[in-house]
Amino acid sequence: MKFTLSWLNQFISTEGLTSAQIADKLTMLGLEVDSVEELFVELEHITTARVTEVNKHPDADKLTVCAVDTGTEIVQVVCGAPNVRTGMLTAIAKPGVKLPDGTKIKKAKVRGVASAGMLCSARELGLSNEHDGILDLNNHLATGISIAEALGLRDTVIEVDLTPNRSDCASVRGIAREVGSFTGEVLKPLVPSVTPLTGKNVGYEVIIEAPDLCPRYTARRLTNVTIGPSPLWMQQRLTAVGMRSINNIVDITNYVMLESGQPLHAFDFTTLQGGKIIVRRPTAAESTITTLDNNQRILDSEMLLICDANRPIAVAGVMGGLDTEITDTTTTILLESACFNPVSIRRTARKLGIPSEASYRFERGVDPNLADSALERAVNLIVEYTGAHADGDGVDVYPGKKSAIELQLRIERVSTLLGLALSRDQVANYLQSIEFLVTAIDETTLAVVVPSFRIDIEREIDLIEEVARLVGYNEIPTSQPFIRMDYPKRDDLRVLRQETSRIMTAQGFFEAINYSFVAEQHLDLCRLPVDDQRRQVTRLLNPLSEEQAVMRTMLLPGILENMLRNINFQRPDIRLFETGKVFLQQKADNLPEERLQLCGAISGQRYPNAESLYYSNQEADFYDIKGVVTNLFQVLRICGTGNASFFQLDPARIPPYCDPACTALIMDGTTMLGALGAVHPETLKGFGIKQPVYFFEIDLEKLLVLERKQKQFAALPKYPSVKRDISLVVPDSVPAGDLLRAIHTQQQKYLESADIFDVYRGKPIQAGYKSVALSVTYRSATATLDDQSVDKVHEKIVNSLMADFNARYREGSEE
Amino acid sequence: MEQELFRLQQEAEEALRQVDDVAQLEAFRVKFLGRKGGLLSGILRQLGTVASQDRPRLGQLANDVKQAVENQFEEKKKLFVTSSIGTASGVMDYSLPGRYLPFGKLHPVTQVMEEICSIFEGLGFAVAEGPDVETDYYNFEALNIPKHHPARDMHDTFYITESILLRTHTSPMQARIMEKQDPPLRYIAPGKVYRCDSDITHTPMFHQVEGFLVDKEVSFADLKGVLTSFTHKMFEKELALRFRPSFFPFTEPSAEVDIACVICGGKGCRVCKRTGWLEILGSGLIDPEVLKMVGYDPDIYSGFAFGLGVERIAMLKYGIDDIRLYYENDLRFLSQF
Repeated sequence: MKFTLSWLNQFISTEGLTSAQIADKLTMLGLEVDSVEELFVELEHITTARVTEVNKHPDADKLTVCAVDTGTEIVQVVCGAPNVRTGMLTAIAKPGVKLPDGTKIKKAKVRGVASAGMLCSARELGLSNEHDGILDLNNHLATGISIAEALGLRDTVIEVDLTPNRSDCASVRGIAREVGSFTGEVLKPLVPSVTPLTGKNVGYEVIIEAPDLCPRYTARRLTNVTIGPSPLWMQQRLTAVGMRSINNIVDITNYVMLESGQPLHAFDFTTLQGGKIIVRRPTAAESTITTLDNNQRILDSEMLLICDANRPIAVAGVMGGLDTEITDTTTTILLESACFNPVSIRRTARKLGIPSEASYRFERGVDPNLADSALERAVNLIVEYTGAHADGDGVDVYPGKKSAIELQLRIERVSTLLGLALSRDQVANYLQSIEFLVTAIDETTLAVVVPSFRIDIEREIDLIEEVARLVGYNEIPTSQPFIRMDYPKRDDLRVLRQETSRIMTAQGFFEAINYSFVAEQHLDLCRLPVDDQRRQVTRLLNPLSEEQAVMRTMLLPGILENMLRNINFQRPDIRLFETGKVFLQQKADNLPEERLQLCGAISGQRYPNAESLYYSNQEADFYDIKGVVTNLFQVLRICGTGNASFFQLDPARIPPYCDPACTALIMDGTTMLGALGAVHPETLKGFGIKQPVYFFEIDLEKLLVLERKQKQFAALPKYPSVKRDISLVVPDSVPAGDLLRAIHTQQQKYLESADIFDVYRGKPIQAGYKSVALSVTYRSATATLDDQSVDKVHEKIVNSLMADFNARYREGSEE
Repeated sequence: MEQELFRLQQEAEEALRQVDDVAQLEAFRVKFLGRKGGLLSGILRQLGTVASQDRPRLGQLANDVKQAVENQFEEKKKLFVTSSIGTASGVMDYSLPGRYLPFGKLHPVTQVMEEICSIFEGLGFAVAEGPDVETDYYNFEALNIPKHHPARDMHDTFYITESILLRTHTSPMQARIMEKQDPPLRYIAPGKVYRCDSDITHTPMFHQVEGFLVDKEVSFADLKGVLTSFTHKMFEKELALRFRPSFFPFTEPSAEVDIACVICGGKGCRVCKRTGWLEILGSGLIDPEVLKMVGYDPDIYSGFAFGLGVERIAMLKYGIDDIRLYYENDLRFLSQF
């Protein structure tokens, strides 16, 4: 909502207040001021000047050489205007001054004659399109004053960002009323008096067939209207607040709407058929109307129409019809000032896609009691500025008349909720300052009659807010609530997320956050088969783009997009992770299942950003990402069901976006927690990535239910351990880790741990075999082990490995 | 011999001063302290040749000299010993970069969100998270925003179906929690929210932290107190605060909270649009309608609620000037925080 200070002052005096002070007060009353703009500042340095002498230019017929009194000196100016004459008061732009269009005036020679400035036309000053001659100002004005001042143009436009509840402030008068709450000045009335409208013998009839949607309809006829431009001051005000000037009738209806908050509409009376205005829903036969913007609109049965005896002539409160529009030849108009149901107008404006200044106000609610005075104001202006004659009577149909709302306000409630003790009389004074009628019921209760324009006030709490607002929020003290001590509930999934994030960052990963909505094409790039559950996407009805059209069902695609971006910006060594929700649409029309997942990925060098001084080129590989996951499980102290490894190979279950030659599953028994490995080359290609990417994904909700090892102290060993190495040749198909697991499952005496310290393929080892070197540690809790005891156990272990894995000792010749 | 001892001591001390690497140190040790050919060991062996009455005195002296030189040698050795352990090449150059294992960082939005949560957790608030895909009921109706309410204009909503949408704020958690529990309640609900809006100051997804407290006789002054404590903690400064009337259908009275501009200190700059104030959160006393809908008696219970934009606070705290940077996950950005 925009207004100018001069317009505001028409309804309330703001004398003594600067525009900045007014803006601040309004903001603190809940009418947030968005901008304060001084008008015509560009005309500040263009001043009034009197032409004292006019002579012919020696070298040009159409030019004159003038002596001009600028108020401080006499200067010589060459002028091309036909209307220049001695004694004329006009506008001068002196050298150094900029015109509103940005042209800078310089000292110049025009056809050999010096000219110290320019005499300006209205168009050159951006005041109108008039360019037939220079400004011819009122001769009584002084010379040397600013044109903005001379023409009374100085004004300030203030824009208020209205909250939806304050429809009463969608008008200059509404704002003025609020100003009154802090200046104490009295709001001036819109019109001195209102003509009573009886509807008798007016020559037309108004029938409201849908009183649920139209609580009031007033109308008045004006004859002898001459359509033409509206007065300049009105055009300037409309322009200042961002409205285009059309013609006197349209401008006046808009002007009164901005001033009072009441939208108005004018019909060409002669086009109305049957002398009737009927407010109703469409009949089954009425499916369209052509609105005055020359668009055909599709009607539905719930839209409210203004009709004449035969047909719809306007979509109520939204837009008028083309057939009854005011034209240049219109001489008789019917002026409508009505009130419509907010929900109905909002629905219609949405459905037709035509938001307007009128629908904006009706949607938020217009005071039905305003219709007649706004009508009177418009009629007065039309009579004054178009020479029209107004009928002495008009129509006022008011089926929705309601008695004013009366509320009880408990003073104790005000004080308790605000945390500020106020007396009954203080509260009463605040409410009276914005036209609430207040009477005391008893010492602690007030009866408050809500004025009809405050359609947002319906409950006691609404009054309490008004009091808080008028007191000023900053006058309310601060305090701390007293509340019973209680240990807050803990969200375990959130705690797990915090733990995993900490472990990931400690392993060199940066956290990424990606949009929850993605391109559906990601699923193709991830090569998901048609029946994959992750293809059951939650789809947005109104996405911003195809790139953000469906809710994600996996995290990896986002991470891959981030990788590409970083590679493109010359950061190819990347460790990124994201913890976020994926959305699985189990059943259409239900809320999707939201699952928290963790996805991490590595690409490029093993030590990103590390000094090449110390680290030679080392490309990250599968074992880097496996180490990350192993570390994660270890730090979280997660122990699986049974003693099985969390990492398994199952070609049938390898996700389609993984390289089958380099992928393992993360399993707990038979439950798949996730996967890790290399991203499938096709998927990488799809995302435009030309370097290998190793990743893992884990469902955190599945991880959450796994048991965590209790922290339990074990006594430190007192006796030394003994190490024995074994070097075995086994078929290539045997996972080296199986050897370790086999050693552990034997549960031999003294066995403490076993590690792999070398794996070798190639000559002289026979093809299809590999050598695995193991180191086994033995220890007794009660004595220092002797070789004999160790040898006995070690032999058992070696023998059983050889038997179980078809292994043999690595021979000397193979060394 | 006495003179010879003193001369040798002097010579050794001088030689030791000249030593400046491990090899020279070793040469020094061989020359003076070597068990076989060392000069000091040699002189000790000469003790046998001196007169027996002088032997105890000279023996003592020779031992003292040797001990003194050995001590100085050990001191010198320490310098080289430490450095040869500390560097591969044997010579430490303090100006060479250190070797370190990579360490990552949390996203700035997560950092700020966790900070917000921990401040409120410190005040005894519990943390709860709700679904991103929400019903129209919890997102709007339960918060006193019926269909066709103009307040819906304040929320550019992404819809999934007519009655399912992406939550436009974290406020649905108020209703979800209150309908399951009785007061007193103190909760914060962090999470992602969505609005179909995208430009230099808006991304279609962003993060909010919703907070609310319900008990008997909770007042607007309490709201001011808690939010003032929070803001001072969050910005690590006693910034001026301004509470300004506003409108949210689920709170009444409603307030926007502004802080003195952290960029210009309240003088007025581009960031605060010359007002000296920055809007950081919306708040208010929970509307009685919302309380009634979850079965609380608004004459007995009252409460306050607030919602913070996490990206906005991170922008103010860290001086980030383009909100879109948050979701590009550029390491050059992520590594700054």
